[in-house]
Amino acid sequence: MQYKTFKGGIHPLAREKGGKTASKDVSTKEFISDTVIIPMSMHIGAPSKPCVNKGDYVKVGQVIGEPQGGLGLPVHASVSGTVISIDQKSLLSPGQVTCITIQNDFKDEWVETKPLGSTIEEIDPKEIIPAIKNAGIAGMGGASFPTHIKLSVREGQHCDTIIANGCECETFLTADNRLMIEEPEKVVNGLLIVLKAMNVTRGVIAIESNKPEAIKKIKNAAKSTNIEVVVLKTKYPQGGEKQLIQVITGKEVPTGKLPIDANTIVLNVGTCKAIRDAIFEGRPLIDRITTVTGIVNNPGNLKVRIGTILADMVGECGGYSGEVGKIVSGGGMTGLSCPNEDIPVLKATSGFVIYPTAKSISLAEEPCIRCGRCVEACPLRLDPYLLKNLCDAGKIEEAKLNNIMDCCFCGTCSYVCPSKRWITVSIKNTREIMKKEVKK
Amino acid sequence: MNLRMSTAPHIKSSDTTSSLMRNVIIALIPCTMASIYFFGLNAIILILVSIASAVLSEFIFEKLSHKKVTINDGSAFLTGLLLALNIPSSAPWWIALIGSAFAIIIVKQLFGGLGGNFINPALGARGMLVVSWASIMTTFTTPTGFAAADAVTSATPLATNSADYTTLLFGNIPGTMGETSKIMILLGLAFLLITRTIKWRIPVVTLASTAFFSFIFGSDPLYAVLAGGIMFGAVFMATDYVTSPMTAAGQYIYSVGIGLLVVIIRVFGNYPEGVTFAIILMNVVTGLIDKYCRERVYGHSKGEKHE
Amino acid sequence: MVIQKEKNMSKKNLKGIFLNGILDENPTFRLVLGTCPTLAVTTSASNGVGMGIAATIVLMGSNLVISSLRNFIPKKVRIPSFIVIICMFVTIVQMLLKAYLPDLNDALGVFIPLIVVNCIILARAEAFASKNAPLASLTDGLGMGLGFTLSLTLMGTIRELIGAGTIFGVTILGASYDPMKLVTVPAGGFLTYGLLLGIINAITNKKKNKKGDK
Repeated sequence: MQYKTFKGGIHPLAREKGGKTASKDVSTKEFISDTVIIPMSMHIGAPSKPCVNKGDYVKVGQVIGEPQGGLGLPVHASVSGTVISIDQKSLLSPGQVTCITIQNDFKDEWVETKPLGSTIEEIDPKEIIPAIKNAGIAGMGGASFPTHIKLSVREGQHCDTIIANGCECETFLTADNRLMIEEPEKVVNGLLIVLKAMNVTRGVIAIESNKPEAIKKIKNAAKSTNIEVVVLKTKYPQGGEKQLIQVITGKEVPTGKLPIDANTIVLNVGTCKAIRDAIFEGRPLIDRITTVTGIVNNPGNLKVRIGTILADMVGECGGYSGEVGKIVSGGGMTGLSCPNEDIPVLKATSGFVIYPTAKSISLAEEPCIRCGRCVEACPLRLDPYLLKNLCDAGKIEEAKLNNIMDCCFCGTCSYVCPSKRWITVSIKNTREIMKKEVKK
Repeated sequence: MNLRMSTAPHIKSSDTTSSLMRNVIIALIPCTMASIYFFGLNAIILILVSIASAVLSEFIFEKLSHKKVTINDGSAFLTGLLLALNIPSSAPWWIALIGSAFAIIIVKQLFGGLGGNFINPALGARGMLVVSWASIMTTFTTPTGFAAADAVTSATPLATNSADYTTLLFGNIPGTMGETSKIMILLGLAFLLITRTIKWRIPVVTLASTAFFSFIFGSDPLYAVLAGGIMFGAVFMATDYVTSPMTAAGQYIYSVGIGLLVVIIRVFGNYPEGVTFAIILMNVVTGLIDKYCRERVYGHSKGEKHE
Repeated sequence: MVIQKEKNMSKKNLKGIFLNGILDENPTFRLVLGTCPTLAVTTSASNGVGMGIAATIVLMGSNLVISSLRNFIPKKVRIPSFIVIICMFVTIVQMLLKAYLPDLNDALGVFIPLIVVNCIILARAEAFASKNAPLASLTDGLGMGLGFTLSLTLMGTIRELIGAGTIFGVTILGASYDPMKLVTVPAGGFLTYGLLLGIINAITNKKKNKKGDK
């Protein structure tokens, strides 16, 4: 069945094929570094509390952070070795976060793993979601939402479609692409496990058309199942969950609500694979594929343990190939600027992009010329130019009336603006102000 | 390592306001060449005076009001060029001077500079010139190239209703300097569409609705589109970003409105040509169109009231 | 109480009231009142002067009478009463113009009777004449009227000069000047008015800043 695309959207870096050519055809290399820095907060929710001390010996998969509160998740050691420090670090989010640094002894000693079964049929569906929580699985596509909460459907809600998001519409990133090419059965099995846990019949794996090899492999792996493999038009932000749900189910997520209110759940393909590992092998989430691209000598994807430091990864990729201007964790459209190269890989870190100095210059913003490109491109059909003007003028009530709460910060408006207006930033800042006012 | 910090998105499209202005200026090159070919030295003088006056006015105004000088973005240059192509070749040089200064200082800068004008500046200036010096602005001469002495005052094809289509397309007719050669205008349109500087809607629907309403009021639709300034207006004047609507629905309403008003002014009004005032009137209504033609936001129900 | 205050008003205050109407509270450029006749009538300097003087006479007369009767007119019917008094003076002025200055009467046309609803006159009646002594009100009328006249003359001069090349009918700019007809139509009137307002505001703000710096 041919699926239509959503209204709006853009083709960022179209001439450079989204910046993906450097890394998308290179096989993933496994890389284990000698130190890992594991933050206690890699998920939306209260940071976990360390339950080991400095000097302790830890094994791979051992719980080193206890979940706190309703949205809490356990944090596991991703390498075996000695805890050399537990301290506060400034990473990418504002403020500081407690981090446990482990010196790898390269023995790769695991704790005892308790898989639920080795085939889908023999697994008890009721045990799946608790196992997902115990494995510390959070959304690996960037949101870091605790997966077991996402899968816990409340009274009055029901789910009839589960979508595995293999679109990877972000520029520069190719980690999900390589995962689908190299381990397609694991992705498919992960989705099957979730379908069984939720008792849902319709499972869909959505892939953008610019990944022909991944499409072939996934279609092959899903042959004997009734999972639908859907090929979607390559357009940013097709991988956004609101756009995915609209295109695949024909329904829209009502404003202010979650996908479950459109009877759909969306999971990243990496998360699906992690779920499969947790259920079939009893492995908690301790590694992931991460793209390292930009001005490094050998751009590509690395399979790394959670907490691996970027500086080490760059070394593995042959070092920098030019003067570094900017490092971004994530893709070009929604990534976060890194203050230094000692940033660890988190559960949701899909990649790092290293920009040369020449491409790190921010242009000054000019007045709005009402060209309407932002209005045309916004995937949620908002009026970004208007929201920016209202935010700049501090008119928060009027911004609310103009649906500022619906903005998903995809960055499409700021990308197309010929006046280089910092639209996404203004909206983000105003939303922060609104959040603080609600808290008061 | 000294890393730059910035906020997402970290990549931006290569279009800038200057590059967009540059595209329009390039799209105007065929018309400019044609105007010089048809109207000779007068054309050159008027174009140069107009552009110089526009750029200088903007420079002086911004310096006097202690604002950032923005003559480099190309918008003043473009306004000057558009104004020159909108006046008859027999107009004296001071018409171009005053017109450009009015367009930049009064229509653009006094209303907030780039992005603030409420009507197309070049068109606003042309409207002012038509009201102020009606006889100069409605006197057209036959195109005689550089033999200006041989130029004879004559009525435009719109008034005489007696030219053939080929002559209209090629442009060997009296009229304002830019509007005569339709082929050159179409070349400009093609360039603008290929570089995605403008969308097809406004030019195409404006011309279509002009043809349609001309037909309804009893004139030859093809002649109505080829004669007069509607083609130049539809491609270069009505498509100004600041004064045209942003959504598809809005652009349809705007274009149909221009077509209707042009024909009404041509048929029922005192002026032989209605393009200037038709576009100005629809420019003024654009704010209202933008307010009421907004699309339904994702996740909201239809007909939900904004603001 | 009130009568005591009025007796204490000195001549110095009268000068203040008079100058107020010309400068600080100029009806055209500060209060922005009476814009309709301002725009319609200032196509030539002489029309401007004529209208200004006619309005001044009405304003002085109505201010004087309204001020004299201010303690007798009940608050609830004050507006209709003011209008009747103003009408009286406008009718007198119109008859005088018809008799002695018929050309001016024809030039000003309907705007003579429209002086009745000229905002300046009603505004000064309400804001000043109904609350102050007759002499002060007469002075205010004179000041406001003169301010109005001067403003109209200024605008009329500018519009006539640019729009016809003459001032008070005297050709200034010569035959080679092609007049800019825009300023003689209402659109041009608005533009002239707006630009003058802007310039006057800029000058007064500069003066204020200088005073503030001292």
